[in-house]
Amino acid sequence: MSSHYEAPIRRPLIIGDKSYHDITVDVAAPVEGKANKLWWTAFTIALLAFLWGLGAIIYTIGTGIGVWGLNKTVGWAWDITNFVWWVGIGHAGTLISAVLLLFRQKWRMGINRSAEAMTIFSVVQAGLFPVIHMGRVWNAHFVLPLPNQFGTLWTNFNSPLLWDVFAISTYLSVSLVFWWTGLLPDFAMLRDRAIKPFQKKIYSLLSFGWTGRAKDWQRFEEVSLVLAGLATPLVLSVHTIVSFDFATSVIPGWHTTIFPPYFVAGAVFSGFAMVNTLLIIMRKVSNLEAYITEQHIELMNIVIMITGSIVGCAYITELFIAWYSGVEYEQYAFLNRATGPYWWAYLLMMSCNVFSPQFMWSKKLRTSITFSFIISIVVNIGMWFERFVIIVTSLHRDYLPSSWTMFSPTFVDIGIYVGTIGFFFVLFLLYARTFPVIAQAEVKSILKSSGEKFKQLRDGNHE
Amino acid sequence: MASNKKYWKSVEELKETSPIVDTLKHNEFVDEIPTDEFLADKETLETSSTTRRDFLKYVGFTTAAASLAACEGPVVKTIPYVIKPDDIIPGVADYYATTMVDGFDFANILVKVREGRPIKIEPNKEANGSTNARVQASVLSLYDSLRLKAPKANGSEISWEEADKQIVAKLNELKEANSPIVVLTNTCASPSTKKLINKLGDTYGNVQHVIYDAVSESAALDAFETMYGTRALPDYNLEKAAVIVSIGADFLADWQGGGFDVGYAKGRIPKNGKMSHHIQFESNMTLTGANADKRVMMKPSAQISTLLKIYQAIVKGESTELPEAVKNAVNQLKKAGSKAVVLTGIQDKNAQLLALAINKALNSEVIDVNAMRNIRHGNDAKVSQLIADMNAGKIGAIIINNANPVYTLPNAKEFVEGLSKVKLSVAFTMQDNETANAVQFALATPHYLESWGDAVIKKGHYSLIQPTIQPLFKTRQFQDALLVWTGSNTSYYDFIKESWKSNVLDGNKSWNQALHDGIYVKETTGTVEAVDVDTDAAAKALSEVKGSDFELTLYTKVSLGDGQMANNPWLQEMPDPITRASWDNYITMSKADAEKLGVVNIHVANGALNGSYVEVTVNGVKEVLPVIIQPGQAKGSLGLALGYGRKQGLKEEMQTGKNAYQFYKNFQNNQFDVTVKLVSGEHEFACVQLQNTLMGRGDIVKETTLDTFNNTALDPKETWNKVAVVSLDHKEVEATKVDLWDSFDRSIGHHFNLSIDLNACTGCGACVIACHAENNVPVVGKREIRVSRDMHWLRIDRYYSHEEDFAGDVELKENSSGVIGYKETMSSLEDPSENPSVVFQPVMCQHCNHAPCETVCPVAATSHGRQGQNHMAYNRCVGTRYCANNCPYKVRRFNWFNYPENDEFDYYMNDDLGKMVLNPDVTIRSRGVMEKCSLCMQMTQATILKAKKEGRPVNTDEFEVACSNACSTGAMVFGDVNNENDTVTELVKDKRAYHLLEHVGTKPNVVYQVKVRNIQEA
Repeated sequence: MSSHYEAPIRRPLIIGDKSYHDITVDVAAPVEGKANKLWWTAFTIALLAFLWGLGAIIYTIGTGIGVWGLNKTVGWAWDITNFVWWVGIGHAGTLISAVLLLFRQKWRMGINRSAEAMTIFSVVQAGLFPVIHMGRVWNAHFVLPLPNQFGTLWTNFNSPLLWDVFAISTYLSVSLVFWWTGLLPDFAMLRDRAIKPFQKKIYSLLSFGWTGRAKDWQRFEEVSLVLAGLATPLVLSVHTIVSFDFATSVIPGWHTTIFPPYFVAGAVFSGFAMVNTLLIIMRKVSNLEAYITEQHIELMNIVIMITGSIVGCAYITELFIAWYSGVEYEQYAFLNRATGPYWWAYLLMMSCNVFSPQFMWSKKLRTSITFSFIISIVVNIGMWFERFVIIVTSLHRDYLPSSWTMFSPTFVDIGIYVGTIGFFFVLFLLYARTFPVIAQAEVKSILKSSGEKFKQLRDGNHE
Repeated sequence: MASNKKYWKSVEELKETSPIVDTLKHNEFVDEIPTDEFLADKETLETSSTTRRDFLKYVGFTTAAASLAACEGPVVKTIPYVIKPDDIIPGVADYYATTMVDGFDFANILVKVREGRPIKIEPNKEANGSTNARVQASVLSLYDSLRLKAPKANGSEISWEEADKQIVAKLNELKEANSPIVVLTNTCASPSTKKLINKLGDTYGNVQHVIYDAVSESAALDAFETMYGTRALPDYNLEKAAVIVSIGADFLADWQGGGFDVGYAKGRIPKNGKMSHHIQFESNMTLTGANADKRVMMKPSAQISTLLKIYQAIVKGESTELPEAVKNAVNQLKKAGSKAVVLTGIQDKNAQLLALAINKALNSEVIDVNAMRNIRHGNDAKVSQLIADMNAGKIGAIIINNANPVYTLPNAKEFVEGLSKVKLSVAFTMQDNETANAVQFALATPHYLESWGDAVIKKGHYSLIQPTIQPLFKTRQFQDALLVWTGSNTSYYDFIKESWKSNVLDGNKSWNQALHDGIYVKETTGTVEAVDVDTDAAAKALSEVKGSDFELTLYTKVSLGDGQMANNPWLQEMPDPITRASWDNYITMSKADAEKLGVVNIHVANGALNGSYVEVTVNGVKEVLPVIIQPGQAKGSLGLALGYGRKQGLKEEMQTGKNAYQFYKNFQNNQFDVTVKLVSGEHEFACVQLQNTLMGRGDIVKETTLDTFNNTALDPKETWNKVAVVSLDHKEVEATKVDLWDSFDRSIGHHFNLSIDLNACTGCGACVIACHAENNVPVVGKREIRVSRDMHWLRIDRYYSHEEDFAGDVELKENSSGVIGYKETMSSLEDPSENPSVVFQPVMCQHCNHAPCETVCPVAATSHGRQGQNHMAYNRCVGTRYCANNCPYKVRRFNWFNYPENDEFDYYMNDDLGKMVLNPDVTIRSRGVMEKCSLCMQMTQATILKAKKEGRPVNTDEFEVACSNACSTGAMVFGDVNNENDTVTELVKDKRAYHLLEHVGTKPNVVYQVKVRNIQEA
């Protein structure tokens, strides 16, 4: 027995003594079973929040943007803050599924499905804001380069806002295709297990006629790789373009070349935090602790720690450059950001984004589920404030002191924000009950079944 | 009712027995439709390509198409002329010269009339007319929906005939009883009206004419009368002044009827190295004080003693020990001699006498005692006597014209009691105001734009008032009524024409020409000589005035004035040039006093300003008022604006502020028996500017002193008009020369520029209202202004210095060291000095040649025009507000709500009457759209088209925009820089010229002229 040298292998990514069938059953369980009380409670709350937000949006469109707290000086506040926040959150999914796929990080398999779902749902929330923040939503199609009969009337390709339109729509479509491709074998699995004819019909539609032939699998692998290649630059480009909204402007505090990398790091940072938030709950509720393990959480925490530190460096660089530039408007913008009337927002941002992830240096803390959950929430609060700080504190005191003023949200601003959180959870909760939340086809590829079985037999652990 | 008419259906009916006609009587078609045959033919049916399904499709489509075609937007009908009046061409404006006279403002104006509707007031420049904000806004009062629309007797409507009958009967009764009839008017300066009042006297015997000005200049009139024998006001030509010393005279606003800003500004632009030096002693921070080179704050009682000291030094030649500021003023006055002038706003005959005496002693050229101004005639003593007589039952009838004593009198209660003892009380009024509701007969008068009239604003300057629109309501002029009551059949028009022909024109000018010009200037002869007045006695009497801990100075705002136009939303929304607060009046208080009393001004979460309330007691009259802590307010003094707090005849939104006339005891603007105490509660102000200082940003408002300016050894670009430099290829290059883009050839066609001279701009705000009127800028109301959503396309920023002057601020900032030091300096710079230096800067869209707004608009709704303007295509705008965020000047205004036709914004754009003022050349913006200054593109295009039609190039200086047209001081000059003769071409090259925030690289088409201050210490 001891003659055989066993290399120190990686910790297993699936714990518990799972067979292939166990995985199928575990993944299909939330779909096939009945929703519990907790789910219904959460869903009701989310739905109510969503409806409230919907009401607030309808009220805004019916009455005018004036129902928000904006003014002549601060033309964007919660709307674009929420937009950037949601887009940022949306970054984790693609990073996990595409970048980690290319880097052959197998641990992504346990979480990529939900992370991608989160991406799509949060990009949906994000996409709402540039639309509803328009004064005349009914003319929103003007931002699309549609052929028209007005001669040279065309969109302005100089405008970063237009780039946003393309960036977000590309991101959403690529993510959606990528996600769906991964879902095909899993939908097929649900289809094959379905007993009720209606369910069977639906899942067979969703699985696009997956048969599980070798050719199917080969194509599946190829498409995944191609899409991963396509999606990887998007991870960097989308938030870079979002940051251009600010970086290409002339407003001190916005006009900063550091924005693209800083925004991307921030986006990954907040996205991973949101993934943590969701998965920590889901693994518990849907009994998926075997697939989303402590190890997953730990690895996520490490990414959070690193990106958090990058963001921290960016903050400090900004302050340094403001001082070093010698430009009075720039200097004042950052002085005002840190010590002006919104100092509390800056402090919140700093402590949530720069200091709180530093706890993750401790192994004990980063493997603690409860602590990870708390930090994930803190990070998302911090990242919301980061965007608020950038947008509002730069605008509210810019060049001419005569126009300086303040911003304070109205109940409609708050309603819409809460509404998107509600909408997000409505989608996510529905997803958790109807979609295979773990990429079971992929996960099965990393189940060490034969070796483990043999060892058990050898060691005489008969059941 | 059934009709028996028969209609021809066809010629066949001519024949008596036509088979077709017979057949048609019974059947719809002559030939039978072979329906049955068709349906029976199964074969054909089946071979037909049109199946039943197709048929249903067609039916479905046609039904849907027909119903869709029936859907259309609501149709608003325009009614064409059946017979087009010869003088109205739709789309072409007519201008009429007339005169604005309302007892408070007098101005020679041009009225722009479109399709029969007066829509804008412009100064009649050929008559040297100038307009202030109120004159500009007066056109909106014509379309006031709450005007008195018909005569009323005891509250119910009555016909004019009936009213005449009843009033004449009463008047005759009174005539028999020889009961006195009093005509109470405000200053009308109209010789014809005076004649008619005399005629009334001839008819009814005992008629007295009492003139009552709500805001009195009686003391100045009394003093002038005593010294020069005529009850009038002297004229001051401040252009000639080298030194102006003003003691509490807000002469750039409404002092002695206003209008002095034109001459003042001319003397303030450095010419040949010279400009006037202006010293102001005052308690409130006034518009005038804000423009002064040296401003000394002092309580009214101290102003009196200052005047006395100057009097003693100049007139008596006494050389006693004087306080520094007074000594300086005296020395300056002595040095300037006849080029100096002393003005005072202290409403005390003795003080006014002393000022006249000083000017006489200086032999001042500035004061012109011969060119007498007739724009204030009120007589306080007579008014007080009238009230006493009314209460004693001595007055038979009172006929009030264009005055609202029930609101404006400090002792209004007595007046109302008196009214009840008068047998006949009649008020001619345009508004359903307090007085209209207190008298027996409230007779509706037309607006001045619907009236005939005349006025002698200045001696020899005869002005005509002509209607520019048919009366909108059942109104009749006071003068027409007088003609009827005196049994005359002529109309007032004929009466004026007759009296002008015989008394005024002297055959030098035809009536039509005079009417066309709006003014006839008659050579005046005869000079007035000063009589010896015992000014020492006046000085002695004045020295007995006792000050107190708190002294209140009542003033009028450049917006609301005496309060006649309180129902005018443009004026209500116009920010006060000093406090920048709108929709309110308030106590202004010094910071020291505020701290002592525990009064605070705070900014709430959305930045809006809140202030404590105080209870002010003046001569026993109590009122709770909000406080704005005013930099430059003399310690121990308080300020409060008149004209607010009206309740009747006003929309609810316009019932703003508190009535300060209740404190206006004895018509004294300075009240000495004042106590203040803090009371609980917080007032919500609507202030458009929340940051008061310039934060040491010297490149926003560039300033220099006259000495530096005159120093030819200095290169302006290196010293006082520094251009920002940037590093390009490691070389320092002027920021204005660096360019990212290839610029197109701008030398072709017109290229518009606007120059704003910070030396000439007094901050009066006439341009703000002119812009409102020209560009249909919506009024948004107090609530929206409070949350920083004003819609003004043109604003006048006002900055205070933190140090003694702005240069001090820059120095303080530059000397700060370290992060902590910098932080502390910057937060201290947020607070204005106790007596700050003040600067006004009008800011509108800068029409940047490299506009940051243009690059960021996703739909290209804002883009650059070849003529230099930054355009806004409202139809294309989707309202992302990105442009506004990226505008360094923050001049873009967003339509947060639908402002027109919205009950939430019940101002002038919500009713059919108010909408008549809208300029048809400018689109009304819908909600969700960004808007901003267009450099009055509709005006420049109209000028171009006019020239084109006349087949000529555009004349030199022919281009105008609303603000430059309204600017009486010449601070704003607009023109085409591609025309080398245009004034503006010279100005943009001036060594004083600079662009706002030029380091951003926006290359604006609006250019500012560096402010030069004449700081002299004698």
